[in-house]
Amino acid sequence: MSNFVRYRNLRYVVYLVFVVLACRLFYVQIIDDKYKDLATSNIMRSTVEYPMRGEVLDRRGEYLVRSRVCYDVMVVARNIPKTGFDTVRLASILDITPERLKSQLKKARQAPRAPFLVAGYLSQEAKLIFDEGNFEGFYTRFRTAREYPRKIGGNLLGYVSEVNDAQVRRWEYYSAGDYIGVGGVESAYETMLRGEKGVSYKIYDTHGAIKGAYMDGSMDVMPVKGMQLTSTIDARLQEFAEELMEGKVGAVVAIEPSTGEILVMVSSPTYNPDLMVGRQRNNNYARMLHDQRNPQFNRAVKAKYPPGSTFKLVQGLIGLQEGVLRPNDMHPCHGGYKYGRRTMACHDHRSPIDLRDAVATSCNAYFCYVFKDIITNPKYANISDGVRAWNDYVYSFGFGRKLDSDFTGEGAGYVPTPEYYDRAYNGRWNWGSVISCAIGQGEMGCTPLQMANLAAIVANRGYYYIPHIVKHIEGRDSIDRRFYERQYTMVDSIHFVPIVEGMWRGVNVWGTSGGARLPGLDVCGKTGTAQNPNGRDHSTFLSFAPKDDPKIAISVYVEHGGFGASVALPIASLLEELYLTDTITRPELVERVKNYKINYTKYDRMQREYDQRRAERSQK
Amino acid sequence: MTSKYNISSSSAYGNGGSLFGRVDKVALGLYVALVAVGMVCITAASFDEESASIFSFSHNYMKQLVWVGISWCVSLVLLLLDRRFFHMFAYPAYIVGICLLLSCLVFGKEVNGAKAWFEFGGMRIQPVEFVKIATALMMARVMSSYSFNINRFTDLVKAACVILLPLAIIVLQNDTGSGLVLCSFLFVMYREGITKYIYFPALFTVFLFIVSFIFTPETIFIFLLVAFTAYTAVKTGAFVAHIRFLAAVLLAALLLAVCTPLSGYAALMIVCGVVAVVLVVMALKMRAMMLLWPVLMFVYAMVFVPTCDFLFTKLEPHQQNRILTFVGMKSDPKGIDYNVNQSQIAIGSGGLFGKGFMQGTQIRYDYVPEKHTDFIFCTVGEEWGFMGALVVLAMYMALILRLMRMGERIGEPFGRVYCYCVAAILLFHVWVNIGMTIGLMPVMGIPLPLLSYGGSSLLAFTMLIMIAICLDASTSDESNIM
Repeated sequence: MSNFVRYRNLRYVVYLVFVVLACRLFYVQIIDDKYKDLATSNIMRSTVEYPMRGEVLDRRGEYLVRSRVCYDVMVVARNIPKTGFDTVRLASILDITPERLKSQLKKARQAPRAPFLVAGYLSQEAKLIFDEGNFEGFYTRFRTAREYPRKIGGNLLGYVSEVNDAQVRRWEYYSAGDYIGVGGVESAYETMLRGEKGVSYKIYDTHGAIKGAYMDGSMDVMPVKGMQLTSTIDARLQEFAEELMEGKVGAVVAIEPSTGEILVMVSSPTYNPDLMVGRQRNNNYARMLHDQRNPQFNRAVKAKYPPGSTFKLVQGLIGLQEGVLRPNDMHPCHGGYKYGRRTMACHDHRSPIDLRDAVATSCNAYFCYVFKDIITNPKYANISDGVRAWNDYVYSFGFGRKLDSDFTGEGAGYVPTPEYYDRAYNGRWNWGSVISCAIGQGEMGCTPLQMANLAAIVANRGYYYIPHIVKHIEGRDSIDRRFYERQYTMVDSIHFVPIVEGMWRGVNVWGTSGGARLPGLDVCGKTGTAQNPNGRDHSTFLSFAPKDDPKIAISVYVEHGGFGASVALPIASLLEELYLTDTITRPELVERVKNYKINYTKYDRMQREYDQRRAERSQK
Repeated sequence: MTSKYNISSSSAYGNGGSLFGRVDKVALGLYVALVAVGMVCITAASFDEESASIFSFSHNYMKQLVWVGISWCVSLVLLLLDRRFFHMFAYPAYIVGICLLLSCLVFGKEVNGAKAWFEFGGMRIQPVEFVKIATALMMARVMSSYSFNINRFTDLVKAACVILLPLAIIVLQNDTGSGLVLCSFLFVMYREGITKYIYFPALFTVFLFIVSFIFTPETIFIFLLVAFTAYTAVKTGAFVAHIRFLAAVLLAALLLAVCTPLSGYAALMIVCGVVAVVLVVMALKMRAMMLLWPVLMFVYAMVFVPTCDFLFTKLEPHQQNRILTFVGMKSDPKGIDYNVNQSQIAIGSGGLFGKGFMQGTQIRYDYVPEKHTDFIFCTVGEEWGFMGALVVLAMYMALILRLMRMGERIGEPFGRVYCYCVAAILLFHVWVNIGMTIGLMPVMGIPLPLLSYGGSSLLAFTMLIMIAICLDASTSDESNIM
């Protein structure tokens, strides 16, 4: 082989080496796109920027819920310096014990690259001190926390909580660590209150230090603050109602009849919404969970109470509309209503009486006659059809179905149907079997919201607006259109006259509601005393005022409170007075209501048994 | 002294014009250009915006600039020297080089597991860089000696010893990567006419070495068996006989494996061993050399591959990992692979035209480790893109080809061998270094010539190239082969 050939071959080797390198470079740099993405994902990381959650105002513009700035302190365990740091100082800044900090860091080290929440709800001042400390590996995340200036309306307003896995899977918007409204206004108006999350893209170096904004921030999206809601609640009235209901189990709902706006909604026992914010949140939540009176249960929209005598209004109205009752019809009552061998007892009053007086004195016998006439009306082929017709009327008053208010988890109550009776009585039943419905007992179940709505219907003489809790949303002209539409009952306006007259008389002339009289305000009311199998009667009162230009319709329900007039009535009366005149002229009545002691033997027994079971479980 | 060309060229620089009239301007220009590219890349790779002054000597690029100055002063001195000086200088340089390596083994400082560095007050020097020059000079000296014949056994041993002595010490220093550079002198030996009976087995060894990591020994043996049988079949034309032979061997191995408790691998080895012995005896009896060669190579493979596996287990874990990662046997994105992945990401994200000077995000934000030393090519790839990388590749290729051409032009063995040595060293460095940044080669700690940050490396490559230019310059007036 000549030297020339060897020289040439070696040149070919050199060419080959460089061609191979160039081809590989061509592949890596031009053909394969993955490296560009990998390079971007190397340096760029996106951070979610949380928006400020919208506030909720009361109807007068006072804050019910505010958002305050707070910070989560996060750690990436890998970035903690190996040499250690001042744990005692950090713990004191974060306001946790050093032991707690150590246990948190131990947890964080299980996934050393992932951000881990060390402590939440750091105030702005504490954050500044934290920043000065320059703790390597730790950083803060902007969040907002809820704040309740008046500390009222726990169940009404709901609370904010971190999303759970199911919610993350269900809605694309949420990712782990986001907040979501639970219950009440927070949940019903979640999409408006939450605002829009933003995102910022930052450049990181290989050590995890931020080196600046990616593409000078041109891809960043600013978070949009949540909308401000104006609720229909009157904060002053709400607070007063909660005060009056303290120690009692029950609910108060007040509605403005001309709009359907809910002025007051108390579910008692209630809780201070501030308990659902902050680091003690979980403890507070657990404590409420173990409380057998169930403070987290919004009785105002979910409970199923027998309406008692307040339901007589509906029976009277249906009777009038059906033509089986005329306002002047007299019925006798001698201590009760006899059917077969049984008697529906009644209290002592004069007899016979007409419809107005029957409403005013709350005569049981009178409405048994009326109800029997309705369901045994010969125009219906049988009693089933009669009850079915009655059902339709009752439904039109909003009973036995959801009112479609803006509360999530609204209860429907219960109105017994012929099918129900067929099942319950094995197909053999007559009007006597169902007569307790005449006076709102038996299988009837209503939510306090439905009862307040009934008061509003009577106040409006025949129609209602769907009760709602929000009257204005920031940046919108109106709320949902369904809240502006009159919902008519199947009873004509004319038939309300004697009923209203009876309610007025009961308060102002002679009847069971005398204690609700307010000079010059023409209060109309109807008491209710609902029997129940769990103990003393429930006390309820249904009222509106003034008679000819109703401003407020109210329903108060106190479990085991005794006669309607004994506790529900004074509460309703005081609230009406405050709302309509801005004054309280009967401080002694306030005291009496507040000091009114009710023994909840059933709840207490349940609590005892529950605590015992828990204790046994924890011993095991 | 031994060469007839020396006599007339000794007349200093009189008749050939000035010194700079006769140096190879293309090589010199390429050298200067590559150093300039290196400075740009080192600046981009090590610029730290938080530092006070851009001219502060705390910056790597300012340090490197000092080394550039030193290198150029040394270049000037080297260019002024006479060719005969290098001729004389070869022995002492080689001896000093070996001594340096040995003392490094004793007094040296360990960096990244290799005890291959001297440290003088914060400055590190790697004697291996200079041993390359000494070995190249020594190779030139030995191979240019009178009546040297590479294909004569004693001469071949001499040349091999020149390479193997420093290589052995370097391997002892645990710096195998740098040591392998010396293997590139095979390139030179080829040019000097080494017989195919040497270089072909050498290439075969390299081939076996690589495949032994990728495939199991059984696969390799069966492949070789089929390949060699096919080779002789084509040569002799007796296809049927060869197919019978192949079938017989494989069947025998299969039977042995089934009927005895031996494993398939052992059975194959036994059958092949017996057949090989028979074939060697037959071939020697029949004087059939054509048969002997493939059989011998197969026997060699049978010995080499298991040995290779055995030796592999003797390697340091990090070397094992690098080799395994390279051949794709181990995927470990955050560990060993990390360097390679990150450098490929940096280069790959450069695209056609790159991101521009100091705009390389992967470089700037420290994603590429060793970004200003061994992985300096990432800066080229990311900031100047495919085009920039091609230009740099072209410059290296031009320089290497130029050095080879200069070697041919010199016409006398000393200069020629030396120039080829330099070309071979450069080719090896460029291939391995750039190859590792783009995933073609395993990670070896060897720098990219003239571009990588590091004083001793820059100075050593400068000297290598300048000596070649000097040798060329002092003979170019009388020998015009090219």
